[in-house]
Amino acid sequence: MELHPRVLAAVRRAQLASFRDVLCVSGPDLQRLTGLCGSDVQQLLTAAASSCRRGGPVPVLLFHRRMETRLGVGCPVLDRLLRGGLPAALSELAGESGAGKTQLALQLCLSVQYPTQYGGLDSGAVYICTEDSFPSRRLLQLIRHQPRLRSDVPPSLINSLQFSDRVYIEHAADLDSLQACLTRRVPLLLARGRVRLLVVDSVAALFRSDFLAADWLARTKGLLALSSTLHHLSLEFTTPVLCINQVMHTCPVYQPGDGCVQRLRRQFGPSNLQRDL
Amino acid sequence: MQRPVSSLSLSPSVKSKLVAAGFQFTSDLLPLKPLQLSKEASLSQQEALEVLQAVRREEGGDEEAGDGRGGGGGRGGGGGGGLASLTALELLQKEEELKSIVTFSSQLDAALGGGLPVGKTTEICGAPGVGKTQLCMQLAVDVQVPLCFGGIGGQAVYIDTEGSFLLQRVVDIAAAAVQHCSLQVEDDEQRVAMTTFTVETILANMFLVRCHDYVELLAELHLLPAFLSDHPRVRLLVIDSVAFPFRQHFDDLSRRTRLLNGLAQQLIAMATGHNMAVLMTNQMTTRLRGGESQQVPALGESWGHAPTIRVLLHWAGSRRLAAIFKSPDHMGSTVQYQITSEGFRDVDESERPPSKRPRTHADQSAASWGDAGH
Repeated sequence: MELHPRVLAAVRRAQLASFRDVLCVSGPDLQRLTGLCGSDVQQLLTAAASSCRRGGPVPVLLFHRRMETRLGVGCPVLDRLLRGGLPAALSELAGESGAGKTQLALQLCLSVQYPTQYGGLDSGAVYICTEDSFPSRRLLQLIRHQPRLRSDVPPSLINSLQFSDRVYIEHAADLDSLQACLTRRVPLLLARGRVRLLVVDSVAALFRSDFLAADWLARTKGLLALSSTLHHLSLEFTTPVLCINQVMHTCPVYQPGDGCVQRLRRQFGPSNLQRDL
Repeated sequence: MQRPVSSLSLSPSVKSKLVAAGFQFTSDLLPLKPLQLSKEASLSQQEALEVLQAVRREEGGDEEAGDGRGGGGGRGGGGGGGLASLTALELLQKEEELKSIVTFSSQLDAALGGGLPVGKTTEICGAPGVGKTQLCMQLAVDVQVPLCFGGIGGQAVYIDTEGSFLLQRVVDIAAAAVQHCSLQVEDDEQRVAMTTFTVETILANMFLVRCHDYVELLAELHLLPAFLSDHPRVRLLVIDSVAFPFRQHFDDLSRRTRLLNGLAQQLIAMATGHNMAVLMTNQMTTRLRGGESQQVPALGESWGHAPTIRVLLHWAGSRRLAAIFKSPDHMGSTVQYQITSEGFRDVDESERPPSKRPRTHADQSAASWGDAGH
């Protein structure tokens, strides 16, 4: 950074370790802490902001030229409803027990492996199970029947794809192990381009079992932290993330700790809501 | 004009030493040599030299500004006078010249007194899925409507912190807006304006920034004034949403409040200084009162003072309602809207319920916490 040595010395004296810390202090406070004059402080803030920003404002037209790729589900009706498929953002799939959420997620793990002209992303998927073990037999069955299920794709192409090789399965029994998996192992796979889909099945299970009724504050924090991690992964690697949620009966009288699905969804942040039909 | 010592751009400790030594005005410092000054004000040699250099620089600049500028309120120096003062009449004239940004929902425009006001900060809060991002995208297109069609022909900066900016949807809204305007062409001026109002130009005049956390958001806002000076046509800044980055990883809530206050001040300064509308989106959180839970806007009660106008989008059964619950200019009112494939629109005449609508539960809950919150 081309900052005057006097400015850098003052910053070090004020014990501001990084540019991020500098940005979190207001102008007058910064002046008081460092003892620098007004114009020096402005210069410091500008340098800090320039290093912390990801990229300046870009005309939207430039994004338009390279069209957004969507992940097709493999069902023409749903793809039309989703205007092409899942975007590279966080999506939530909610439904009652037995409605077919896991089936849809498994199907997505296969459809992501097709080339883009068939609605896929030419890459694999990471499937994180939090409840039961992964339904591998059902996945193998779906793989065997792909030629019949995806009649729009030429059989030679289907035969050439090794579907089971590109589905990575993780098990996470609690929130900490899930966060560890999402911060360590999953980014490696994403960075190498091995996967372009992340499925978490399911989110609700972690929060119902881990937290006691009175612990709703810790639960909110955990939920927000998880939401933040998933958002970062989705944005960083332009990857669709699918979270499977469960539906509970809504209660007319509120009781602390009762998982009303509306609240779960709200804290989880904005996402494409897709009701399982 | 005598300039006080505090208006020099020096560090506060040096200034306080000068004032303690009895130097009120810069003219007192002029005849001194550095050695004398350092002894009198107990400054180091280096600091004394810097003070005198600053004084000479300011005085030199003053002379260049021209003699005979007696009233000189405009050039008040570093921290001193600040901007020229305006009378209330001048302010009224300025405000009347400011046009509002028309949404394509005439009911909401009427409730807001013409549309989204320029020069003010507005907040939209609501539950997920109710239409906040849709309204933001609609306004980012509407700000570009040419003057002859009733718009203000400006550009928009869209800061997306949640990843909810979907390009396909913006293209739809832009195409519908172009269609709407092209059906209303009446004279040559409008026909010419339509050649510059197409989907491509709309996308080219909308600038997108994606921020992943609150530090990136703060950084972008620090650097935005420089961008705005390069692009003087920007008339709308959208931050969607301001709540999301600030609701994560904050153990120290007082620090969060401080940062939000600083952010609010920056936004107000940008809105008035650059003559543009600032639109922010907020999320909802649950507040416990006794044994009951209530939906209130997130980020705490102190944030409620930051935006000038607050609009709440909520559901009443299957209907979507927009309620204005904080505004210095307008009465609190509620209007119904819908989200169509073309964007944010009024509800059709046939579907609207009779005018004497009894107060629904949604209105009551919106009003009750609105009163209680302030």
